[in-house]
Amino acid sequence: MTVSSKFSADAKQFVIAIDQRFDFSLHQQFREAYNSVTNQGLKYILDLSQTEYMDSSALGMILLLKDHVQLYSGSLTISKPSETVNKILKIAQFQRLMTIE
Amino acid sequence: MSHIRKGLYLSCALTLLIWLNYLFLHEEMLFVFLLFSLFFLLIALASRIDNVASANIKYKTGEATQVVDDELIHSVIFELQQFIHQEVDIVEKELLRTKMLVSDAVTGISESFKHLQNLSEEQQQMIQVLISQSGSMGDGKGASLDSFVADSNKTLDDFVGVIINTSKQSLETMVYTDDMVAQFDSIFKLLSQVEGLASQTNLLALNAAIEAARAGEAGRGFAVVANEVRSLSVGSTDLNEDIRTEINKAKGIIAKLRQSVEIMASADMTSTLEAKDKMIVMMSHVEDVNNQTNQSVEELAIIAPKITEAVSVGVRSLQFEDLTRQSLESLQMNVSSLHEISDALATFDKNPDIAIHQQLIKLKTTCQQVYYETRQSEDSRSVKQLNMDEGEIELF
Repeated sequence: MTVSSKFSADAKQFVIAIDQRFDFSLHQQFREAYNSVTNQGLKYILDLSQTEYMDSSALGMILLLKDHVQLYSGSLTISKPSETVNKILKIAQFQRLMTIE
Repeated sequence: MSHIRKGLYLSCALTLLIWLNYLFLHEEMLFVFLLFSLFFLLIALASRIDNVASANIKYKTGEATQVVDDELIHSVIFELQQFIHQEVDIVEKELLRTKMLVSDAVTGISESFKHLQNLSEEQQQMIQVLISQSGSMGDGKGASLDSFVADSNKTLDDFVGVIINTSKQSLETMVYTDDMVAQFDSIFKLLSQVEGLASQTNLLALNAAIEAARAGEAGRGFAVVANEVRSLSVGSTDLNEDIRTEINKAKGIIAKLRQSVEIMASADMTSTLEAKDKMIVMMSHVEDVNNQTNQSVEELAIIAPKITEAVSVGVRSLQFEDLTRQSLESLQMNVSSLHEISDALATFDKNPDIAIHQQLIKLKTTCQQVYYETRQSEDSRSVKQLNMDEGEIELF
């Protein structure tokens, strides 16, 4: 139930990884993970490969992250979501707002 | 012919008597009488033979010598007439019966064909109504089932959008709440400083009271002031404590606020996922139903004219009744010809005075006449007869 974040070696990508459950209890950690990052044109990658459960607050958090990314002219990519998570992202029509791969 | 044979025997007997008279009696008167008798007998025979010979020639049978009894002829012809009459009567009755049967059957069949066609048309109309109703939801605005499903799908998407937005807003509220909690913490720090000031003031007041006591009577007034300052610092500490309690209450309220915002923000998406899955299944089902309906409509559109065509063929085929009636009427004419022959045969018995060969000749003429009449009507009939396939379609 943790959020981990790190810069890639060349400092051009910022990866945020979420554990199994992505819900309201993570909101503070999640916000703190990116709030201090203010690099311009950074590529944000949200790694959901470990995530199995996601509720609507997770979608809200991703939208807030998206706002933050746009504020600093970056780009957001959601990486390797599981089938269930991908379904939720599809219903929320996030594929229109960001890249899902 | 038996008369001629008897006459010849009689003439032989007369000749024998003449010879007996000539050889033994020699009676002149008897001789003359016998000779005259023989003479007239022979003349009578000659005339009779002449009649028979001429009759034989006229019949051209080549058997002039054949001898037929008049009674036999009469009886044979009578039997023949009876037989023909009976057979013709039976044939006539059967003809009438057949005509009626065919007419009744054709009337029944054509009515049922007509009925069948009407039913088919009714069925077609009902199917059309059914199809137009199945496409709409029955609200009279032409809203179809698939548009209803599409609307529901859109509503679901909107609903999901609302949920996500609510979550986002709640999370933002959460950020502000956290900021507010941080503000409270700094208020607490300030309060601690105020408390420090109050305790220092208290200490100062205590020192002042001690110094005032040391000054004795001169410091009495100052001791009162120091005491007042000390009670002020104690009041200030109490007030601080009150403020801390109130702010702690506010923090408790904020904790509750966080809980309700959390509930607001974190909606479980599982039911939404299931609804979406159901919606997808329903949409594909509606599509299937639509396709099936369209296919059925196309098939029905092909079947309807086929039924009409089949009924038309049936009705056209029923014109055989017309042709059959013509045939039966023609047969009735033939039967009436047979009746004529039969009537001609019946006159044989009624007129025994007329010579048999003349009657036969009359019969022959009648036969020929009837034969030509029948032939003529047969020729005109075969011209009238039409092929059934060429007939116009006509509903009875």
